[in-house]
Order: sequence, then structure tokens, then C-alpha cells
Amino acid sequence: MRSRSIPSTLSSSAIAAALTAALATTATAQLGERAIPGTYAITGARIVPVSGPIIERGTIVIRDGLIAAVGATVAAPADARIVEGAGLTIYPGLIDGLSNVGVPAARQQGGGGFGGLFLAQQSGPQQPPAPSAPNSQHPLGLQPELRIIDVVKFEGDALDGVRGAGITTALASPRDGIFMGQSALINLAGGTAQDMLVRSPVALHVGFTPLRAGGYPNSLMGVFASLRQMLLDAQRYRDLQAAYARNPRGMRRPEADASLAALVPALSKEMPVIMMANSQREIERALDLATEFGLRVYIAGGEEAWMIADRLKKDNVPVIATLNFPRRSANTTDDADPEPVRVLQSRVDIPRNPGKLAGAGVRLAFTSGGMGSMADFLTNVRKAVEDGMPRDQAIRALTLTPAELYGVSDRLGSIEAGKIANLTVVRGDLLDRAGRVTQVFIDGRPIAVRAPAADNGSANAASGTWTVTATFAEGDRTVTLSLTQEGERLRGTMQGALGTGEIGNGSLGANGDLRFTATVTLGGTSEEATFTGTLTGNVMRGSIQIVGHPNGTFVGTRPDAGGRGAGRPQGQRPPQ
Amino acid sequence: MRMIRHTTLLLGFASIANAQQAVAASGSAPTLIKNATVLTVTKGKLEKTDLLLQNGKIAQIGTNLSAPAGAKVIDATGKYVMPGIIDPHSHMMADAINEGSLSVTSMARIKDVLNPTAPNIYRALAGGVTTINILHGSANTIGGQNAVVKLKYGKTTDQMLFPGAPPGIKFALGENVTQKNRVVQQGQQRRYPSTRMGQEEVLRDAFTRAQDYKRGWDDYKARVAKGEKNLVAPRRDLELEPLVEVLEGKRLVHAHSYRADEILMLLRVADEFGFKIKTLQHVLEGYKIASEISKYGAGASSFADSWSYKIEAYDAIPYNNAIMMRHGVLQTINSDSDERVRRLNIDAAKLMRYGGLTEEEALKTITYNGAAQLGVENRVGSIEVGKDADIAIWSAHPLSVFANCETTFIDGEVFFDRQQDLASRAKLEQQRADLERADENRPARADQQRRVILP
Amino acid sequence: MIRHTPFVRTAAFRTHCRRVAVGAIALVVTAFATASAQLGSFNPLPGPHGSYAIRNAKIVTVSGAEIPQGTVVIGANGRIVAVGANVTVPSDAKTIDGTGLTVYPGMMDAGTSMGLSEIPQGAAGTVDISETGSFNPNAQAMYGLNPHSAHVGVTRVVGITHVASLPNGGIISGQATIVNLAGWTVPEMEVVPRAAVVINLPRSGFAGRGFAAFLAAQQQGSSQDAQRARERQLDSLRQMLRDAEAYGKAIDASEKDKTLPRVNRDVVLAALVPAVRGQMPVIFTADRAADIRAAVTFAKEMKLKPIILGGGDAYQVTSFLKENDVPVIMTGVMSLPRREDDPYDVNYSGPGKIQKAGVRFAISAGDEGAEVRNLPYTAGMASAFGLPKDEALKSVTLYPAQIMGVADKFGSIEVGKVANLVVTDGELLEAKTNTKYLFIDGRPVPLSTKHTELNDLFKDRP
Repeated sequence: MRSRSIPSTLSSSAIAAALTAALATTATAQLGERAIPGTYAITGARIVPVSGPIIERGTIVIRDGLIAAVGATVAAPADARIVEGAGLTIYPGLIDGLSNVGVPAARQQGGGGFGGLFLAQQSGPQQPPAPSAPNSQHPLGLQPELRIIDVVKFEGDALDGVRGAGITTALASPRDGIFMGQSALINLAGGTAQDMLVRSPVALHVGFTPLRAGGYPNSLMGVFASLRQMLLDAQRYRDLQAAYARNPRGMRRPEADASLAALVPALSKEMPVIMMANSQREIERALDLATEFGLRVYIAGGEEAWMIADRLKKDNVPVIATLNFPRRSANTTDDADPEPVRVLQSRVDIPRNPGKLAGAGVRLAFTSGGMGSMADFLTNVRKAVEDGMPRDQAIRALTLTPAELYGVSDRLGSIEAGKIANLTVVRGDLLDRAGRVTQVFIDGRPIAVRAPAADNGSANAASGTWTVTATFAEGDRTVTLSLTQEGERLRGTMQGALGTGEIGNGSLGANGDLRFTATVTLGGTSEEATFTGTLTGNVMRGSIQIVGHPNGTFVGTRPDAGGRGAGRPQGQRPPQ
Repeated sequence: MRMIRHTTLLLGFASIANAQQAVAASGSAPTLIKNATVLTVTKGKLEKTDLLLQNGKIAQIGTNLSAPAGAKVIDATGKYVMPGIIDPHSHMMADAINEGSLSVTSMARIKDVLNPTAPNIYRALAGGVTTINILHGSANTIGGQNAVVKLKYGKTTDQMLFPGAPPGIKFALGENVTQKNRVVQQGQQRRYPSTRMGQEEVLRDAFTRAQDYKRGWDDYKARVAKGEKNLVAPRRDLELEPLVEVLEGKRLVHAHSYRADEILMLLRVADEFGFKIKTLQHVLEGYKIASEISKYGAGASSFADSWSYKIEAYDAIPYNNAIMMRHGVLQTINSDSDERVRRLNIDAAKLMRYGGLTEEEALKTITYNGAAQLGVENRVGSIEVGKDADIAIWSAHPLSVFANCETTFIDGEVFFDRQQDLASRAKLEQQRADLERADENRPARADQQRRVILP
Repeated sequence: MIRHTPFVRTAAFRTHCRRVAVGAIALVVTAFATASAQLGSFNPLPGPHGSYAIRNAKIVTVSGAEIPQGTVVIGANGRIVAVGANVTVPSDAKTIDGTGLTVYPGMMDAGTSMGLSEIPQGAAGTVDISETGSFNPNAQAMYGLNPHSAHVGVTRVVGITHVASLPNGGIISGQATIVNLAGWTVPEMEVVPRAAVVINLPRSGFAGRGFAAFLAAQQQGSSQDAQRARERQLDSLRQMLRDAEAYGKAIDASEKDKTLPRVNRDVVLAALVPAVRGQMPVIFTADRAADIRAAVTFAKEMKLKPIILGGGDAYQVTSFLKENDVPVIMTGVMSLPRREDDPYDVNYSGPGKIQKAGVRFAISAGDEGAEVRNLPYTAGMASAFGLPKDEALKSVTLYPAQIMGVADKFGSIEVGKVANLVVTDGELLEAKTNTKYLFIDGRPVPLSTKHTELNDLFKDRP
């Protein structure tokens, strides 16, 4: 039995919750050894089966981890532990369609090629190495054979916040890279990854973030070239292997390559490919690549998917839409240049995205999208509903649709007899602001939930408005940089003395390694500047490389969070 | 869904919104421009001339043209019409410019990373620019593939790509490639090559490999043609494929180069391998070897007058363009800059001062000659019946610094109009005010900051 | 062509002169200067002082009415001694027939770093623009300026006859100098050796070089540290200016009254005394509205005489600037808009807007050296976007002279002013216009430059 130490400062209810969680974990892990009764009946509850009409007052019987029966007239078995369902609504366990839960954050990627490896060796053992496939012939970031189920780890109360949002199942997905690896669908309770596993591999994940360490590919262009070349190589690999399998005699044995082998199921459409893409142009590029190689693509993120909903519908491309809706940062400063109307507009548009996609008939699931506080998960589902998403479709996007997309709709996604007993129990209605998740069942075991923490963020998060001074041989130039971070990806806008535009190729490692590019106009010429450095707290600094120029340096600060106006510069007042 | 797209732009950019509204209002309706001074560039200056734009083309040029039904009529009395400006060297609207990790990155494609919403597109349109050549940066000897684009701001990337423009590729020589200015961090190696000698080797090596690659495929195709069965095709190599296209004359080479010696090196290597350099870019010391360049047949695309910003630009002279032109080199001015692209007309006018170009010669360096260097001179670059209706109306002679661009057409559609732009500014401010009031734009409380979960 | 008056009377010769104008000026040098231009000399020396007359030319005086056909006479003292439609040309004057040509006062760019930076990228040894450290009031541009910079010649032949050259970087960058763009040596070029102090007020968005260095030294940094760093910098600046004031007072007092204790001399504080006494202007670099306000407010507090250099957002604070009578040297007319939503012409139209509002201003090309020659086109662009043509001309002639306190010498064609004149074949601000003759400090300046020399060397190479 795993022991847990409980801090003495916890409130009694927290202790109770923790105990329940611990019990549940233990129970699942040791079901075979100790005969804890596993039969439950939730009686007199409102039931939203998703696959069928709502049952206003009914009973669900759970036995041995599965849903044994459901209906208005179902009676609770005599051996069942009764959950009094009056005032409760029962939903299929919610599915986070793309999550990094349990996936270790990578150390600074060794860049592609030998340079990157060399760097990785130099950088010392302060952080765990990035998940990496042993013996791969491809650099980190281009290792599609990486299976996330082999690296997930759940420590401490990592799952509390997620379950608090009513989520019982998540697609545990790789965080970073280009061919990022293969995801696993896991139930969010259990002793080990194997216990939790529902299905693996589920999908091949493709991100478009260039390697930070400078090896090939270090630009979005190189990213696409690498993706193409590896897919071409995989096609040939498949053909050579097939030819060899047909008749090995007289044919030189084709070289084994686990990375290329891992792409073969994607090329045959057997495995879906989830591509991270938010802006319209990112989505279009992803769709074009998928078309070029005949891939079965899902778009993840999809903030501007509504702009090309017709194409998504026509090509039958589902969207795993982000619920990480951007809000203006509290720690802005009056001193920063005003945010572009484009950015203000996008904050209004993004919550409307799910409704518009649903309206256009695009298949839809939701992802927490690297949100800082899981408290936002349901808040933002409700916001999407207020902004036009039909209620039934919102529920479906949280349950049955992702189950279908991930090939488990025979097991999960609706409340039907025989399916896995993953249930989300809500006092009131999930989609009403007053609705509260009180409990979840995972694999038939009840788990009390705790309200998600408001913020369990990291000091490295880059989102916000920065004032950055770049120093070149030509002199100092100051710009306002508005950044948005999701996972390791960085997006944003630069305005000021170096010109205006969006940044590209941006990422931020778990240890604060920062890299992005921006087109700067310096001495009359437009150049691509590569900013590399580190971000600590509210300060970023590093060097700027421009082809043909001596290196520049940059330092940026962001007003400290908390206390509005803390960052108000003195220059706004008459000097003393 | 197109309308939704327009709505976004309306909201995002009032200026372009107006241009789009104009388009929406007129659709592809014909436009009759009356009584202008038309600078055809190839057929002289036509006073008091009408121009009919129809179906995206220049339909008629003449006097007293009558407006077809539904045509929009613009009185351009006292105004000048010139072809849309063509910038043969730009890095605009690209989400990435350099794949600088390797010495040869011919597999990189600018087309993959275009950003059709970059605000600088609109600013260039406001300078009468209609077509640009977006090149990979100059980080490596053989860089990536370019994209020729019409600045149809508000449209998608696909709609902006210049239909039928021959593909090209960027080469680069000199300081930018040797990276002598770059501080090499501890533990990293200086990237090869770091000398002009090494640049020659990179070229020789790459094209030698490309020749072998081509031979491999030629052999394979020959064997297939002979009916051999069960052959496995050679590996497709995205690095070498474009170089084979260069060898076959199917891909235009645009070579960043400054110093006379490196230019001659490139021309010699190209001659040896039997491929052509379509344009030398910057070519700041081209005037020192103008006859060699002319004899070889490469075009040259230079700055009007930039110099002295680095050592290899210290001998750059503004007479460079005139000298090369007088030696018979097809000459253009380029911007290499989102700033300068907005006023290439003034750069062209400088060539009248520095080297005595005629008005028409000066105009050609920013219009027709650029079209020829990009292989699209049958479509754009001059005002002739049948060509694309890519034109701009100017308040005065565009070679005057006192002129401003009033309206820019691409394929007969208005993509910039100064009056509409001015009229839309208040609307943008209103929109900002409205959006500032939206809940999403009110700052989150500090304890609600979005942060990343890092377990 | 300059010869004694009787020599140039034939029409045929006049025509010839115009055709070979550039070559002709070289003859002047051969005739009157002791050294002739050689390749690599870059900036051929001007001819001697003497009596010169430009006749039959259109004269754009800038300060007064245009003279459709008139004469300008230059005296041996380098000054304009006569100008008008009917002026008697002294018998010893060397005369230029200006038929079809226009005479303008030489232009001035008050925002350059001329001669301080030859090749900014990759040739650090040619760059003397920015001293190490944050407070360098005694860094004087006149001691870093290379009179043989190729930029000098290239700049002057478009008619820019004098400039202010400014150091940059740090908080107090140093002192600007005003020079004529012709001369063997800096002392020969000097007009005002120490013309202004240049200050970069730490930006209200936590910037400034000292700030960056401060943060770089910290392993952990927060923006509150940054804010404190900035406040400390402002305090240091304030302290230094107050110390300079006290220092000046003490020095004066001890000179008057020998019984007072002797004051130890301080080079750095001494350099600031004229500025804190309001005898020397202080150039504050500021583009954003907040930064402009902060600079002016700071100047008021410290009783400095401010000039804003940059002025990108000046159009947003015109009444504030007018109220405080602070002039602006606009350096960013050709710059891209600094904010995404700015109108495309926000910088083109800036000068027109502030002129209309009555703010004193001048236009600068905003370049350190090599491209200062674009000054006329920069003013032309402002004119295409709302600045009246005559104001555009003033913005590069009379106004910079007024702002920099040298309007008694420069900026217009008036008797008694320095004969910095440019004779063109068209409008001064047009890019296609050619310079035919150039006078700086009353001396004829050959029109050859590094560029024309290379042109001559290679243009006919077979």
C-alpha cells in the first residue's frame, strides 16, 4: 500500500477528500486482494446518457467497474451501495481531448543532429532528460515512435485539479516536438499507468515548433521540410519492408528504423494524426500537409478554425477545440503600447469558435489546451455555450465525440450498459454557472473531487505584456511584446521601434529556455531576428542573432502580477 | 465562409476593411479610369488617356472610352497611372525567413510559412506595390525556395500566390554566410563554411550530389521504361530535387551577393555545372564586373543607394545600377525591407540623379524589369491591353517625392484606397473602444492568470 | 564654371558648362585649391575663400520671397554679401551663370552622428558613436568625428552643407557638435563645437542600457527590481545635474572671491554647466507620447532647455509641446509605423500635423551617416502627406538652424549669413534633382565623392 503523508494544515474536508482519493486508488490497485464491494447504484438522478434521450429520473447501476444498467425503471440491486441522486445530474465521464497531464516536461531539447546532442551533453543533469526514444536515428523532436504511455507519471495530487473539473479521461499527449510521439487515452485514477490505460497508441501528434537548440530544423520552413522528408522516407520504408517481406531472397535487408516504422500506420490512415494549429494559416498548412500525404488529420487548438469551417466540414476534419480562452493579462502596464485591435478581437472571437464550428457541422471535442487553472475548464465550456454552442453538442464534445475520435466509443463516452463506468456527477446542471461537480466515478470507483486550484502555474509562464529593450551595434531599440503561451509554444505580437508583426517559431522550455523569431527593421532593412535566452519570473534576457549582423542582446520585463498598477512606471508622474 | 473572413478583416483592420468593402460593393465590376497620364513603361507616356479594367485585366487603353454597364468610373484628371510596383527581393509576410542550421536548405519553402495577414502587406500596397518576390534569407550558401506573391491583402495565401510564376531558390554568398559577425557560444562549433572558399565548395558539392541524384533517377526511369519489374524507386530527396530543377533550368536562382569576386566565383561554378543564375541580388559591386555579368546573362537587382553598413557594402555606389544597365544587364531596384518597399518610386527616381537614367528606365527598374526577372513579364510590369490589371493611381508623377499613391488595383480589384483609408480611421477607434469594453478584454484578476501546468 | 566675369559671357560656353558641370567644378579645385582629389581621398577639399557670384538663377531664399532671376554674391569672408534681382557683382568675383538653375540655402540635418560611425556592422573599429557607461557628459562628438569619412562627401553633394553630429547610448550620451561638411580638419569644419547635451531618459517602460546591465548582473530579477533600477537611474541623473549646477556656482564664486576655498576641477560636471544654466540645449531622445511628456517634464523640473529628438508621437501631444515651447527634430518620417493599428502614413504625416498645430520642428533623415543624404526626400515625403511645400523646405533649412541656435548663420539666403549654398537643376527636395554647384562656408566644393570616383573608375570598363 502506497503511503501518503497528509500535511497537518489541510482542512478536514480536504483530508476527507484525500482519504477518499487514496482509498479509491488503493482499491483499484488492489481489487484482487481485498474484497471492497464495487457495486453502486445512483438512484433518482437526472441522467444524461448522451447516446440517448435524457432520463429525468432514473438509476444507474455500477458493477465491477462497468455500467450494469441504466434507466428510469431500473432498480438498485440489493448488494449495491446507494448514492442518493436527488438534485444530481449524471453525465458520462468528461474527456479532455488533449492534455499533458502526467507527461514530464522536457529539458532543453537537444537540437537536431550532432550539434544538438553535443549541447545536450554539455548542459548537465539538473533536469530530467526529455522523453526520448533510445537508439532512434532521428533527433529528439522528430521521434514519432515515442509512446507517451511509456513516460507518464502521476505524482502527488496531480490529478486532483483535473478531476475537479469533472474530467475522468484524458488523451495524454506529448508536449513538444515536431513528430511529437503517440498519445494514450487514460482514465484518471489508478495505481499505475498500466491500470489507467484505456487505449494506446491513439494518435500520432504533430507540432510545428522548431527545435530551440539551433540544429536542423530551427525554423518553421525546416519543420515542414523535415515532416515531408520523413513522411516520404516512411512511404519508401513501408514499400521496401513489404518487398522484403514478400521475397527476402536476393534483396539486401532494408535498414530498420523505428521512427519511420511509426509513421506507417499514419500513412495508411489507420492512426489519426493530431496536428497542433490555432490560426487560420496554421490550420490551412496542417490540412495541406495532411492532404499531401493522405493523412487522417484532427486539428487541435483550432482557435481560428471557425474561419475555415467549410473546408473542415468538407474534408471531415474534426477539431479538438481549445477551452483555454485568452484573457487580457492583469499585469499590463499603461506604458505598454496598446494591444492591436486584432488581438482584442481574437479574445472575443475565440469563445465563439466552438459554437460556430458546431453550427457548421464540424465534429468537435474539447481540450484544456494547457490552461493554468482547471477551474477554467467548465467555466469556459459554459462560456462557449453562452456564445452560441448548443448545450447538447457541448456535452457531446466532452464525451461521446472524443470517444469516437479516439476509437473507444464502444467503451466510453455515453451512459450505456456495458460501458466503462466513468461518470461525472454534478449538483445542478453541468452547463449552468451554479452547477458543481461533486463526484466522479472512474472505472466504477467513486472519487470525491476538490475544486480545482485557481492557479498552479509556473514562474516560467511567458504570457503577458513585456517591454523589451534590444541592444544592437546600431543602438538600443525598445518594443512591446505581448506573449501568449500554451504548453511550450509561444505566440505573440511585437510592436515598437523594430517594427510591428507577429512573432514566429516561438517556444519556452520547462527550464525557461526561450526562443522566438521576429522580423525586425533595422537600419532600413528587414531582417529575421532570432531571440534566444532565458525567462525567469518577470525578466527575460538573452541574445539576438540576425544574419550578417553582430549579435545583439535583449532584456525584457513584465510588470509584476498582482497589485494592479504595480508596474506603473514613475515616468508617468512628474518626476520628484 | 468568405464573408466571415472579410468580417474578421473588417474588424481587424479598418483600412483594409474599406478596400474589401469596395471590392464587395463592386465585385469584379469593371473600372474605367478617365483622363489620366498613363505611364505604360513599355509604350511610353500617354497623356489624357482612359483605361478600362475588366475581368481582372487591362481591357482597353484609349481616349473617350465608354464605361460598360455597372462600371465604376474614376476621374483621374491630373493624376498618373503606373503599373503596380514589383519588388524582386522581400522577406515580407513570412513566419520564418531563414533555415540557417545547415549550409544547404533547398528543401525549405517560403510557401509553407506565408502569413497573409501581416500588416506590412497593406503598408506596401499603400506605396503602389502589387507583386513581391519573397525570398529565403541569406544565412546559407544554398537557401530555401521563394514565393512570388500578389499583395491581395485580405485573401488567403493560395489566392495571393502569383499563378504560374516560375519557382525559384535563394543562394547567398559573402559575410552573411560566413557568419564572421556571429559570436559562437561555448560548446558550439562555427558553422561551415566560414570563408568564401568554403562557399564555393558547398556549391560544388551540392551540385555534384544533385547530378548523381539525377543520374540515379534517370537510370531508374530508363529501367522502368525498358519494362523492368519490381524495381524500388530511389529515395526522394527534398534537398536535391530543387537543385536538379536548377540544373534542368526549371528553377530560377536568385543569388544574394555583394563582392565582385564572389559573384564571379558563382558565375564560374554555374557555368561549369551548366546552370543559369537568373538574378544576382544586391550585387553591390556588380559595377566592377558589369561586362562579365552582362555576358553571362544574369539579371541584377540592387539597392538604389544603400552602402557602408558593413564592410562588403563599403564600395557600394548608387551608380551601380546605371553602370550595369549601360552594360546591358537587366536591372531592378529591390527593397529587402518592409519599410523601403513602401517608397520604391523614390528609390527609382534616385537613379535619374545617380547615373542619369531616363524616366522610363527608372520606372522599369521597379516594374517591367522585375517582372522579367521573376518570369512573369507576360502578365505584369507594364500597362498593356491583356495584361493583369495591377496598377496604381498616383496624385502626381510617381517619380516625384511629392506624389502619393491614391489607389492600388490588383487583378482589377481595389486593395488600397487612400480616401477610404482616411474615412475608416474613426471606425477603427470606435471598434477599439467597443472591444475594450468586452468582458474578454477586461484584465483577469491576478489570481486568475493563465499559467501553464508544469507538474 | 567659375572664372572671372568677362570670361563666361558666351552662350555656347554656358551650354558647355551645364553639360559638364560636374567636371567643371573639378577644374575649380585644380585652379584654386592646393591639392587635387585623388581616388581614396573621398572628400576633395573645397576651393579657397574669395568673391563669387551666382547670376541669373532662381533664388529660393527661404526666409523671404523667391527671386525668379537674381544674383547671390559671396564674400571673401565666407558670408553672403548680396542677394537680389538687381545686384552689382564685384569686378573681382568669379561668376557662375545660373541660368535655368536654382540657388537654395544648404540643408541641415540636426539628428545625425556624422563621422562617428563609418561601418556599423562588423567593423567595430570604425565606430565611435557611443561611449561605455551611462553618464558621459564630456564625450564630445567633435573629438570622435572623422572629417575624412566618406559619408561627409556623399552627404554634402545633395546639398546638405552642415549637420549636428550626436553621440548616442547610455543616459547622458555626450555632446553634439555642429559642423560644416567641408574642411581638412574638425576645427576647420566646426561651427558650434559643443552644441547640445544628449540625454536618453530611462524609458518609462523600464529600459535604458544601464538598466539592462543591472538586470543582467542579477540572477533573479523582477520588474520591481527593474523599476527600482530605473528610479535609481533617474535619481543619479537628477543628482548629477544638480551637482553640476552647484559646481558651476562654486567655481564662479571662487573666481570672484579668492578668499573662498579653492574648488577642485571636475571635467564631467564642468561639461554640464552650460546645460544646467540653460545656455546649451539638451536633446532628449523620445518617440512615444509618454516618453516625450516625461522628457519635457523632467527638463522643466531641472530647468533645462529641451529639444525632442525622434518625435514619433509628437502629433499626439502638440498642445503640450506648444505650451512648453519645446521643438522637435523628427527622425522617423520614413520609419514603419511602430504600432500595428497605426495608420500606414502615421509617420509620413507627422510633420504636417505638428506644423499645423504650431509646434516648432525640423526634419532629420534619422540616419547616422551613410544615408543622411536622404534628408531632402524625407522632407518631400512629409510634404506628400500634408506638410506644405515651403514648410518642407524650411524643415530642412531654416528650422533646424533655429532649433539648434545657429539661425544667425544658416538656414536662409540673407546678407550676412554663412554662404552655405546649393545650386540645382530642379527642386531641392526631388530625388531626381542634380546638384550643379555647392558652396560651404563660402568656398566652392567639388562634387566628387567616393562614389563618383568609383563610378569614374569603372563605368567605362569594357
